[in-house]
Amino acid sequence: MKRIFVFLAAVIVLFLTLPLLKLILGVGFDSYMQTLKDTEVINSIFLTMKVSFLATLFVLFTGLPLAYLIARYEFFGKSLLESLIDIPTMVPHTAAGIALLMTFGSQNIQGFLESVGLGFIDSTTGIMAAMMFLSAPYLINSAKEGFKNVDVKLENISRSLGASQFETFMKIVIPNAKKDIINGMLMMWARGLGEFGAVVIIAYHPMIAPVLIYDRFINFGLNYSAPVAALMIIFSVIVFLSIRWLNNRCNK
Amino acid sequence: MQNKLLEIKDLFLKKEKFKLNILSLDVDKNEYFVLLGKTGSGKTLLLESIAGFETIEGEIYFEGKEITNLPPEKRNFGFLYQDFALFPHLNAEQNIRFSEKYHKKNEELFNDLVKFLQIEKILKRNIQHLSGGEKQRIALARAVYSQPKLLLLDEPLSAVDPTMRNEIMKNLKELPERYNLSVIHVTHNFREASYLADRLGIILKGTLLQSGEAKSVLKNPNSIEVARFLGFKNLFEISLLGFENSHKYFSIDPNQITTTKTPLKSDYCFEGIIDEIMGITDHYKIFVNVKEFQFFIKTPKRRFEELSINKGEKIYICFNKKDVVFI
Repeated sequence: MKRIFVFLAAVIVLFLTLPLLKLILGVGFDSYMQTLKDTEVINSIFLTMKVSFLATLFVLFTGLPLAYLIARYEFFGKSLLESLIDIPTMVPHTAAGIALLMTFGSQNIQGFLESVGLGFIDSTTGIMAAMMFLSAPYLINSAKEGFKNVDVKLENISRSLGASQFETFMKIVIPNAKKDIINGMLMMWARGLGEFGAVVIIAYHPMIAPVLIYDRFINFGLNYSAPVAALMIIFSVIVFLSIRWLNNRCNK
Repeated sequence: MQNKLLEIKDLFLKKEKFKLNILSLDVDKNEYFVLLGKTGSGKTLLLESIAGFETIEGEIYFEGKEITNLPPEKRNFGFLYQDFALFPHLNAEQNIRFSEKYHKKNEELFNDLVKFLQIEKILKRNIQHLSGGEKQRIALARAVYSQPKLLLLDEPLSAVDPTMRNEIMKNLKELPERYNLSVIHVTHNFREASYLADRLGIILKGTLLQSGEAKSVLKNPNSIEVARFLGFKNLFEISLLGFENSHKYFSIDPNQITTTKTPLKSDYCFEGIIDEIMGITDHYKIFVNVKEFQFFIKTPKRRFEELSINKGEKIYICFNKKDVVFI
């Protein structure tokens, strides 16, 4: 049985890795150097990383309380709420983009957001909203699992020793759920980097990397989009793996 | 009345299908109070209610002030869980010192605890590398270091290696006097209870059935449920003895019953048929049927051999009134 399993496993592993390797190795050294000098590409990659990070931060402050409430308390409609959180993972991303556009792109809200210097359509706020909407469940669900694994007795003891509920949350709950929270942030951030469908509907400009890759493919063809795609993947993988490595090392 | 530290009145708590209902419970200053009950009798829930971890109906007073709705951090009661609940991300010493941010730092107390509980060598260790007994002592030190006036211990010895238990029991018994606090200790173990308790409460199915001086409770159960729980044998209705008094049941210790082939001159003698005989290493267990009631008798090996009796034979069982416990 083991042999068949190894064979089947190899099929899927190859399928998952081959296209990425082909893309990364298929681009010549010169192309890489040229693309690295292209400020539009570099700016776009950093913009993508930055906005996805900001989206992750926003969900960290709002999603952690939500995840904690779900993990700790029983309340009416809890399972409905849990399903609601998962909905973004199953809707088509373009549909999510349309929904966001209809909600935040309306004259009133768009006007308000512009008046406080944020904007929505064709702005980083819009991009952030698109990334957040579709990838927040990764952070919320991961943090929820982390919180569930923290024994409620630890919190009770902390409070009996004099710590308030909030101090207990900060000093006992967060440190013991840290690994899952960081992994969740990483998943959300990484997922946000790849967001295209929703972003392209809300904000073609400023161009994040996935939109830029698409734009170059449509206007100039494969040869011009491949180096950008390869570079984006290399950068993301480096950041992703280093944080995950650090996280595992710190939690040993 | 001055001596009262904790007072509970009409405490009620429902959790899923379980109901905890404690009509009245008092704990005095510097007293070691043991709550004895089976697993699932509501002992832990009662401790958690006292600590403020559970929202309850009823009233709890501490030093005369009502604390029913006070959050746990305002009560300053020490708590020790059965599995110790040490903070995994902190080492042993950091665990003990956790309360320093909220109470006064007290180096003298810290050093005294380290010496008293013999934990100097393990202070810098990760808690993952501690044995059950070591974890227990760290958790105890952590609770006492927060300088509580009341210490709540939930089955503190059940996860400790049996060879360590006597040592820790001695430590526990010294706590009230040494650190000027009262203890409520929850357990299902009679030996622990009888050694440690100044006063004792028996809790069964969420209700406190009896409380009082430890020796008196252990010797004189006030209900058949408590008697059964405390392991009293030969529990029968008093009418079997041929008279009536204010009690409903009686119990007779299996060691205090004499089995003979002819009636003895004792207060009570009954004729019966031997149902079963079981030989144990140094004694025999004899089950005798008297008017459809089955008596259990323990007889030393030598005495049994002198008797030479067999299953199904007629026999007399005799005992004296002074050995009877009325319930």
